[in-house]
Amino acid sequence: MVNLEELKSEIKRVLGEGKVKYFIGYRRSTGGLPAAPFFMKETEDVERLIWDPTCIANLTRFLDDEKKRKARQKEPDTRPIGIIVKGCDSRAINVLLQEEFIKREDVYIVGVSCEHSGMVDEKKLAAKMKGKAVAQVDFAGKDNFAVTAADGEKTGIPAAEVLAGRCVECKVDYPVVRDVTFGEELARSPGNAFKSVEKIEAMSVAERWDFWKEQFDKCIRCYACRSVCPMCYCDECVVDTINFAVTAQTGAKEKAQKIKWIEKSPATSENFFYHMVRAMHLAGRCVDCGECERVCPVDIPLRFLNKKMEKEAKELFDYDVGMNPELPSLVSSFRDEDAEDFIR
Amino acid sequence: MKRTGVFICHCGINIARTVDVKKVAEELANYPGVAHSEDYIYMCSDPGQNKIIDAIKENNLDRVVVSCCSPTLHETTFRNACKAAGLNQYLCEIGNIREQCSWVHEDREKATEKAIKITKSTVQRLLRNEALEPISVPVTRRSLVIGGGIAGIQSALDLANSGYEVVLVERSPSIGGHMIQLSETFPTLDCSQCILTPKMVEASKHPNIKLMTYSEVEDVSGYVGNFKVKIRKKPTYVDPNKCVLCDECSKVCPVVVPDEFDLGLTGRNAIYIPFPQAIPATYTLDSKNCPGLVPIACGKCADVCEAGAIDFDMKEEIIEEEVGTIITATGFDLYGKENMAEYGYGKYADVLDGLQFERLLSASGPTGGKVLRPSDHKVPKEVVFIQCSGSRDPEMHCAYCSKICCMYTAKHAMLYQHNVHGGQSYVFYIDIRSGGKGYEEFVQRAVEDDGVVYLRGKVSKIFEEDNKIKVWGVDTLTGKNIEIDADMVVLAMAMRPSDGMSELTKKLKIAVDKDGFLSEAHPKLKPVESVTAGMFLAGAAQAPKDIPEAVAQASGAAAKAITILSQEQLYHSPAVAEVNLNLCTGCGMCVDVCPYDAISLEDGKAAVNDVLCEGCGTCAATCLRAAIQTRNLTPLQVHEMIKASLGG
Amino acid sequence: MAEEFEPKIVAFLCKWCSSAGSDLAGVSRMKYPPNVVPITVMCSGSVSPLYILSAFNQGADGVLVSGCHPGDCHYIEGNYYARRRIALVRKLLQYVGLEPQRFQMSWVSAAEGQKYTQVIQDFVDTLKPLGAQKKLRRKK
Repeated sequence: MVNLEELKSEIKRVLGEGKVKYFIGYRRSTGGLPAAPFFMKETEDVERLIWDPTCIANLTRFLDDEKKRKARQKEPDTRPIGIIVKGCDSRAINVLLQEEFIKREDVYIVGVSCEHSGMVDEKKLAAKMKGKAVAQVDFAGKDNFAVTAADGEKTGIPAAEVLAGRCVECKVDYPVVRDVTFGEELARSPGNAFKSVEKIEAMSVAERWDFWKEQFDKCIRCYACRSVCPMCYCDECVVDTINFAVTAQTGAKEKAQKIKWIEKSPATSENFFYHMVRAMHLAGRCVDCGECERVCPVDIPLRFLNKKMEKEAKELFDYDVGMNPELPSLVSSFRDEDAEDFIR
Repeated sequence: MKRTGVFICHCGINIARTVDVKKVAEELANYPGVAHSEDYIYMCSDPGQNKIIDAIKENNLDRVVVSCCSPTLHETTFRNACKAAGLNQYLCEIGNIREQCSWVHEDREKATEKAIKITKSTVQRLLRNEALEPISVPVTRRSLVIGGGIAGIQSALDLANSGYEVVLVERSPSIGGHMIQLSETFPTLDCSQCILTPKMVEASKHPNIKLMTYSEVEDVSGYVGNFKVKIRKKPTYVDPNKCVLCDECSKVCPVVVPDEFDLGLTGRNAIYIPFPQAIPATYTLDSKNCPGLVPIACGKCADVCEAGAIDFDMKEEIIEEEVGTIITATGFDLYGKENMAEYGYGKYADVLDGLQFERLLSASGPTGGKVLRPSDHKVPKEVVFIQCSGSRDPEMHCAYCSKICCMYTAKHAMLYQHNVHGGQSYVFYIDIRSGGKGYEEFVQRAVEDDGVVYLRGKVSKIFEEDNKIKVWGVDTLTGKNIEIDADMVVLAMAMRPSDGMSELTKKLKIAVDKDGFLSEAHPKLKPVESVTAGMFLAGAAQAPKDIPEAVAQASGAAAKAITILSQEQLYHSPAVAEVNLNLCTGCGMCVDVCPYDAISLEDGKAAVNDVLCEGCGTCAATCLRAAIQTRNLTPLQVHEMIKASLGG
Repeated sequence: MAEEFEPKIVAFLCKWCSSAGSDLAGVSRMKYPPNVVPITVMCSGSVSPLYILSAFNQGADGVLVSGCHPGDCHYIEGNYYARRRIALVRKLLQYVGLEPQRFQMSWVSAAEGQKYTQVIQDFVDTLKPLGAQKKLRRKK
């Protein structure tokens, strides 16, 4: 059980000692259920820190932003950033370490265990509460949540009924890289980590096409998925024809090399291209934190797409994403025995 | 606006028969970026090339596409023509409309359509080509030869006699390799030592050869023309300049271990000379078997050495050498004893391998050239030779043919018949492979003149009984079971790459094949080159081979090395990877995938060593940020080529 | 009678094996349908997933990637990286509902003119009944 007061005092200690530049955690959101990211600079900020099943956001995205900010500064504060991570978030840190995007000494990692349950899916909870406003959700022992409605009524809900999809299929619900952990480090045993993917795999070719066409027809290419993703840290997205990373150093030759792989318009074919390239670029890197899916304004089940690559990495190449930062990346390595039955 | 010239070749009727070349030229004339388009019967002819040169001048062309045969044939021709007209050679590209179009299609209309797409696609690529200059690299004009067997010695001598310095590294205390262990050589029966020792002496005395025995290659870095090699010179504890070969030291040495040179048929002391004609002519103290050097446990050898040649304080040295080329000639070893338990090898003293039998036949061998059984020193009256022991057996052993065993077994049987009058030799064989000058005649001589009995079949069982080695087998020609009460069995063991080869190839970064032999760059046309530029192969390290083949390959490797060493500068294709520092995040995936170690991270960004880069582009396909690409075949170029290929 | 559908195929051939194998098919005067426009790249390892997706986006009915056999790569191991990368692209294309027959990979050595011919012939035969690839193609 994560003791919030102990967690707070650890963060206060670290902030108080001036060991970190700031600390990223969660606070109650001013509107809506999911906890908001919370940047704590002073020890008194820490009072507002929360830890409950609404802390669904993957805060590691902010490490990308911090790195870029630091790169722009002339005399940057080189102290590490403190950050609270769940199991999935910690795997994202491992990938960032693997890709040398951040260094281990750049982060002070406070890991929290997901208490053998996980995070709440806002939509599922709303459905379960039949529209009744929710004020607070708390962990209530293994596989249970305690929900307090806005009117003060308290209900116990089995976690399984309102758990976020990512948590249902979670493989590692405790932090795999951290400086200190709160809560128990017990690996959960998921029923089937790839159930959602298998459902789509079981469809016929035509059904699969219809399924994804319906999804990508909706995409407005707002790029929220990319913006929230800790792995989409490129300055310039290879398929984005709008946001070229043009700097003062960008020469004419480089500008001339920019490729318009797809049209700006969110036509289905172009949306497919964008999401498939993103899936390829996330292969062996996506830790299924589910943030892209959560922030999608048009409800595209992006986890199902990106998780497919995680499944293939595991099944074809026995590659586990984000478990060992020392290993080479999925696509920058091979084994002699890699499957080639598909090659003529 | 770019001004491309397009030239469509008829190739006589080779292209023109199926491709409407006029139509292709017309179609291209109206293509954006094309300023001139024409067709001609033979573009590669002198008048054809002149057409290109004239058109460049007359029409002020700034780049040229020639649609003709495969670029492997005339790319250089047309690039040179462009150069002659003052164009950069990399502003000329070839569209392949013969091998990949006119020759493989029959439908004239469709073939023409395809030829247009191919040509347009080539134009699209070319429009985005940069003018580049070949990268020049200075050459260190000396060579390393690894391995002091016959192949290594031959390569070193050829290089040295051509005026280049050679560092010849041999890991054992003497050069000579396996050839120096042999008795006589097929098919002429020359004495092996008599023909090899003069070469050994020549190598050791040659002013251009730096001989480093008892030394191993520790590390190799750099690239063609500019390798840096670290060589570990192990201490011999004997100063070769002082040693007078009096042999007093080994007489007093209390240690006796199996002798490598005689393959365990005799013993040697911890301080020893491998064989009397060893080069360098000196003793070596084998520290592994010496009772103790630190502190000195025995010291008797130093006590008796009047020359004062023994120096217990001698230390291992790491010597660095710079060379331009490397020839690997590390030879072979025999397939391990432990693998042939089915033939009682290693279990029965009188079951020998081919090299051991060579020692028995050798005048300088343990028996002074008499064939005697190791177990009781009696003359064996019946000897069974078994070919393909470990070779041509994909299920149990090596799948490949070891090539030389048919011949040396015939020689063994023949020499045995000469040696032991009234003796009888039998050879079990699968096939007799006697391709080679005088080889078939040699085998026939063994059968007809010397009475060697050849039995086609495999041996099923070997066991010792009543002081005999019983050999059971089947003669598949008669279908009869054969039982021979032999006095000695000689196994023609498979050849395999010498011990330590895989560690060495990792240091050299050269490839090996599935059996562990060195891979040549091309099985037909580059048999002495490795895939790494500047590294060459010689001798049995590349595949089982006999002495003349090893020598020929060694001379070939030396000649190939000289093609590099004879130049002051080397030129390297400039179509190498380049990094866009704005986009690179320093993830290092390109570093992981580069087969040439050409990419490193510098200040958190990828940096390409142009000289090491071969331009394969695997880094570019791996990079998630499109921050690295190969010059003149960039993603943008491919994107435009795809478009043109699809008629867009 | 309507004209038979002719699939458009983009083939990425590595320079050292597959393009050379294709040249050999030509030298040997073997015959195969003209539906393929080859793009010669240095190594199958240089074929980015972007190339494959772009070919489909630009209207290819089929895409082929062909390289040297394992162990024969001119660049030692580029084809091993290609094998892994292409396996992933292939799985993804199938997963979103593209007909699996539309994307193929082959090993064709410089000596395998016959194999190249057969690969192309079979590819064209497989693609014909599928008709035009409209799923991933950009609407004009």
